[in-house]
Amino acid sequence: MADGALFGPVQSARDDLERRTLSTIHGDLARLIYLASTRVYNSGAYHHEGLAARFGLDQAREALQTAHCNVFRRLVSLSLQGLVGELEAYVNTSRETPAGLIHAWRELEPYRVAVPMEMDSTTVQLFLSNIKLALEVLELRQQQRREGQPASSLQPLLGQ
Amino acid sequence: MGGAGMSAFLGVMAVLALGGLVLLGRSRREDRQTRLSYDRDRRIHCAVAAAFRPGELTARIFSREDRDYIRRTGSSALEILYLRERRKVASHWVRQVSEEVGWIMREHRLRSRQSANLSVIAESKLFFYYAELKLLCGLMLVLVRIFGPHALVDLAARAGELYQRIGRSLPDVLAALGSIEPSRNPAA
Repeated sequence: MADGALFGPVQSARDDLERRTLSTIHGDLARLIYLASTRVYNSGAYHHEGLAARFGLDQAREALQTAHCNVFRRLVSLSLQGLVGELEAYVNTSRETPAGLIHAWRELEPYRVAVPMEMDSTTVQLFLSNIKLALEVLELRQQQRREGQPASSLQPLLGQ
Repeated sequence: MGGAGMSAFLGVMAVLALGGLVLLGRSRREDRQTRLSYDRDRRIHCAVAAAFRPGELTARIFSREDRDYIRRTGSSALEILYLRERRKVASHWVRQVSEEVGWIMREHRLRSRQSANLSVIAESKLFFYYAELKLLCGLMLVLVRIFGPHALVDLAARAGELYQRIGRSLPDVLAALGSIEPSRNPAA
């Protein structure tokens, strides 16, 4: 029996999104950035051509919105150590140099636009604050590496 | 002696709570710029979301795990930044809880005027929960500034519990708040 028959087209769209797209993206932070990029800035509505063609515009929108909120909640519920791990994985898989990315994120704070609209303000504040702190931790690590500090001093930070 | 000590303690707590309530009023203005962008069109969502807010978020804000992690970095600058950031988030949480419970009670009061079968006992209980939560919020706002959020894990848990109790006592109010589209919210 098809998924759609059991759970409806939105669930099928969610499963499809999870299976074909999100599972191929490494790490929740990268997934969050991807899902936020499917949102139109001016309207806040989500759009994904392939998903809309297969399941319909509204179903695709709802699937993207739900996935976005879920990924965001997972990131907020991470400990700071866990979030630093996520951020480090994101930095390592990006094409930018770690120093360049950390600098750009600290200056431009692009992660602010990755927040879903439906979240309550405390959750958003916690996320933004934790990302800011995680960036500082990564910056500190970079600094310690540059200064050639012994690996043992970095060890407690390597929580992954 | 014990009685006098207890009275003094309660007096200090009352003064701190009252000071906190004043701070709650003042901080609304201070924090306006940063909070408006998030709060304006989310107020209704907030009220509903917070009533069912999992204790996990509260635990995350007030827990000592992140503080210990930052301490292990050995950077005092990072530790200072961390404490400042967490104080900010914890204060925001306290203010949000205080404001939202205020909206819920205002909505309840408006609805109660049209209700024919109010229970005095239930209303009194609700009022005491509300008063306790408001005082607790005032107290926490002061204590967060003095001791930091990590000393207030139990108070935060109690505040969260009271909030949920009030939310559970008024499911119709929450349902009504939740059914209003944010764009139709006059505060937006």
